[in-house]
Order: sequence, then structure tokens, then C-alpha cells
Amino acid sequence: MTSVVPPSVLTDAAVSGPVTSGPRRRAKGGIASTVLTSVAALVWISPLVLLVVTALRPLADFVAQGPLSWPGTFTFQNFADAWDIGNFATTYRNSTVLLILKVPVGVFLSAMLAYALAKLRIRFGAAIMYTVFLGLTIPIYITIVPVFVMARSAGLTDNLIGLIGPYLAFGIPFEVLVLQAFIRQIPDEIIEAAKIDGAGAWRIFLTVVLPLSAPALVTVFILDAVATWNEFLFALILLNSDASKTIPVGLLNFQGQFSNNSTGLAAGILIAVVPILIAYTFLQRWIVGGLTAGASKG
Amino acid sequence: MSRAKTRHGGLVAWGFAAPALLVYLGFLVYPALNSLWFSFTDWDGLSAGYNVVGLDNYTTMVDDPVVAQAAVNNLIWAVVTVVAPVLLGLALAVVLNGKVRGKPVLRLIFYTPAVLPLVSVASIWGWLYNPQYGAINAFLRAIGLDGLAQPWLGQDSTALGATMVAAIWLRVGFPMLLYLAALQSISADLYEAATVDGASRWQQFWHITMPGLRPAHYVVIALSVIESFKVFDLIYAMTYGGPGTATQVMGTWMYFNVFQYNQAGYGTAIAVVITVVAIAVSIPYVRSQTKEHAV
Repeated sequence: MTSVVPPSVLTDAAVSGPVTSGPRRRAKGGIASTVLTSVAALVWISPLVLLVVTALRPLADFVAQGPLSWPGTFTFQNFADAWDIGNFATTYRNSTVLLILKVPVGVFLSAMLAYALAKLRIRFGAAIMYTVFLGLTIPIYITIVPVFVMARSAGLTDNLIGLIGPYLAFGIPFEVLVLQAFIRQIPDEIIEAAKIDGAGAWRIFLTVVLPLSAPALVTVFILDAVATWNEFLFALILLNSDASKTIPVGLLNFQGQFSNNSTGLAAGILIAVVPILIAYTFLQRWIVGGLTAGASKG
Repeated sequence: MSRAKTRHGGLVAWGFAAPALLVYLGFLVYPALNSLWFSFTDWDGLSAGYNVVGLDNYTTMVDDPVVAQAAVNNLIWAVVTVVAPVLLGLALAVVLNGKVRGKPVLRLIFYTPAVLPLVSVASIWGWLYNPQYGAINAFLRAIGLDGLAQPWLGQDSTALGATMVAAIWLRVGFPMLLYLAALQSISADLYEAATVDGASRWQQFWHITMPGLRPAHYVVIALSVIESFKVFDLIYAMTYGGPGTATQVMGTWMYFNVFQYNQAGYGTAIAVVITVVAIAVSIPYVRSQTKEHAV
């Protein structure tokens, strides 16, 4: 079946690839298209712009002048208040710890499986792939009752460690999908050459396959980090105390307390999303490339 | 293709595959099957014991008006949050693939909502929809449409639509990116030849662009449908299934039964039904992915 994107352009095509002939072909449509898409983009970004403007003004100013006005005065006080009341020091720490514990392990295990599927002669390879890819379609909530029971019997409720198993399991299908497609592109000759030099499967994996898969590994790492940072349902059912909550669960609590303090709420939402926005802005090349690569093998 | 595969035999390969497979089986496959078992019991989620009740939970679902409502909501959600983002994403991709200034920034903007935690998307839109202080009602009043200002998330007639607007906002970027990538693989010569032959832009779109995007349509729609069945976070954090049960979907109704009403058996039955539907719908996609790679 035809791929949407040629595999060789895993991270480049969608991002910075030269746009073939578009520009010359549509010289006339240039201005109209630019205006139209710019207006659409303004509408799309307006909730976030409004959020920033609101977070930077005093509540009294917001109430007096209304949500669509330009602030009379600016302040950073909302951020200080939201940071304390929203317990963000704790939720930030928890989300970071979880990310550091989970993401490298998940990517490494997925790369191992992807290598076995792509380059080693493994029995039932097609059946394994089918089973693992099926995981892409399973909604998380079908697993929450047994996962909760397992965590409780292991004494791991209200503990970040209890999240790692389910997070790994739900990350594996997408990671394996992307990584095995990439590893498959590595020429067999390179692997054969290493083998003739006496390298075993492990050495080939660590010194040939992983280094050559670096672009795909980075992409998968970033996407997995975003998914881990954002995950909500498992965290909601497994974490009870404020001391163990992650950012999405903490934000939900915060939202409840601040429903009538619009400026404080805006500041709290921003505190929760700013790291991901910054990471996205700088790493978008990898995110976009990975999404198109992962989805395109249709 | 497999001619040069290593001949280390099964054991080494299984050594590489085993850790990820064990995690996957232990924390995804086993819990999913375990849920299937619970769905045949009357377990409350707390007690040590339970009785096997056969298909009782499934027959109860037939008479549960909230299940009927949730199923309809899931269906509406699937149609609207697939069709609208796919069409918008396609339009944006076609325009952005032409001559437009500031393309990287535009692409950045349209995809930004998709990287945010769903809970924060829910918070942002809950805040925009706030009846007194929300920007949406303020905007309607500012342009003289005071009559349209209303509690968007607080009334049955608008709540589901309001949550879907937030979903569309965050889902447009994904099809846009995939279509953009696919458009770049359509040869420019085709358009040039068509232009020489006097084909209009509209004709070119229908006879060159759309056929060229056929594989992309398949992937975009399959992934969007799969995603739509997973809806939970947005509804839970925006409306909590309310007002009343107006925005309940299968995922949230399952959650409420398990964790609020202590009906774990019944809740898992609800989850089983929607999961079976999700898998049935996605099997052609999963099969195509496997065929693509298995040699």
C-alpha cells in the first residue's frame, strides 16, 4: 500500500521540505490565501492570547472592564497566587519525576521489540505486530478497574510508581509502530558487516541500530514525554493525596476552586501549559515529523 | 526482504521482544481481559467477593436510559469531531500548500491546541464559556447579540455542542499535518500539465489532489475515528457529564458507575461494549498496518 510519506523523509517532509511547485503555480491566490488563513489563525490562537492577557491583569480590572478589554494595569501577582494555591510546586515535581522514570525505559523497551520485529527472525512476528498495534485502538478506561485492583494489591495506589506500568503499556504500541518502520530502513548490509566483525545481536543493537535510529528515537521520546505529561485518567484514579498528584489532576482541582476568579484561573492554566508550549515551539520539527511518520504507513 | 535477517534463531529475538511484550500483556491486555470477566459479575469494586451474574449487566444496559443517551452522544461525538476537523484540516492543508506567507507560524498555531493537556483545554473552554465572565458571552454582547449570550455548558440544549467545539479546536491540526505531508508527495508536473490543458483550480482539486490524497484520507479518518471512541478527559473536566446526564458518553458513564456508584461490574460492561465497537471499527486499519510491515 502506498505510504502517505516516503519513509526516507521521516522527519523532514512535513516540516521543512521544499514545497515543490506550489508557490509558482498559485501566484494569483497568494494574497487572498494569506489573509484568509491569517484570520483563521487569529481565531484559533485567540483563546490562548486572551488567557495570557487575562492572567496579566488584576481581578478588579478584569471585572470592571470585561474580558475583552485591554488591561488598565499589569501584574504578575496572579501567577504567584496560582502557583501557591494550585500546589504547582508539588505537581510539577511529580510530573517531572514520572517523565524521567517512565519515558527512557519505555523508549528503550519499545526499541528492543521494534528491532526484534524489524531485523531478527522472530516467530509469530506478524501476530505480535497485530497484537501490539491493536493496542492503539484500546480506550484506557477498559483497563482502569483491573489496574486499580492491581495497584491496590501491590500497595501502589497514591504512588507515582503505580502509574509506570500502565503508562509504559499504553505507550508501547505507537512507539513500536514508528520505531520498527524506521529500523526496517536500515540496510541489512550494515548489520551483516557488523556481524562479520563478530558483533552479537546486543552489540549490533546498541552500537549500530540505536545510533542509526536516533532521529526516530528523539521523535518517539518527545511524543511519549508529551503524552506522559498530559495523561489524566490513570492519574485521576490512582492518585488521591495532594502530595502525589500530577499536573493535569492538580489543574482540575485548581479549576474547581478558582471558577469565579478568572484572572487567577487563567494564570493557573498558563502555569500548567507553558512548559509544554515552550517545548512544542522548539521541538515541533520532531513532533510533526513523528506524527506524520507514525500515521502514514497506511 | 528477510534474506539478510540474522540467524540467531528464536531465542535471541524473543529476548529482545520479551520485556516490552510482558509489560504490554501485563498492563494492557490482561487488564482488558480481566475487565471482560468483571463485566459478568455483580462486583461493587470494594468487597472481597462477588457473584457471577452472567449477562445481567448487559441486559441491564438495554434498559438504562443513560446508556442510550451516552451511546447517542458517542455517535454524535464521533461524527462531528471526525468530519469537522478532517474537512477543516484538509482545507487548511490545501491552502497552506499553496503560496502563503508565514507558513511555519500558521502551521504552528493550528497544531498548538493538540499538544496541550486535555484538562487544560477543558479549563480554557470552561473559562471562555463562563456565563458571567466568559469571553464568548462578552463578545456576543459587544456585537449586539445579547440574546444569544447563554450558559453554554449549563443547559442541555448547548452543552454537548459546546464541548465538541473545544474538541474541533484541538483536533484540526492533526489532519492538517498529515494532509500537508501527503500533498507534498503529489507531483507538481500533474498540476502543470492540467493547467496547460486549461483545467480550472476546482477541476485540479477534484481530479488530481483528491485522488492523490486517497491513502491519506484512509489514515486520517481511521485515526480520527479511533481517537473519537476514547473521549473521556474533555467531557469529564468540562461538564462532568452534565448538566444532568446531557453530556454523558460511555467512557464517563463507565467511570461514574465504577467510582461513584460502586457498580464495578456494570461499569466494566459499559467499557467492554464501547471497546468492542472501537476494535471492530479499527481492525481494517490495524490489519493494514501489520500487512504493510510484516514480511
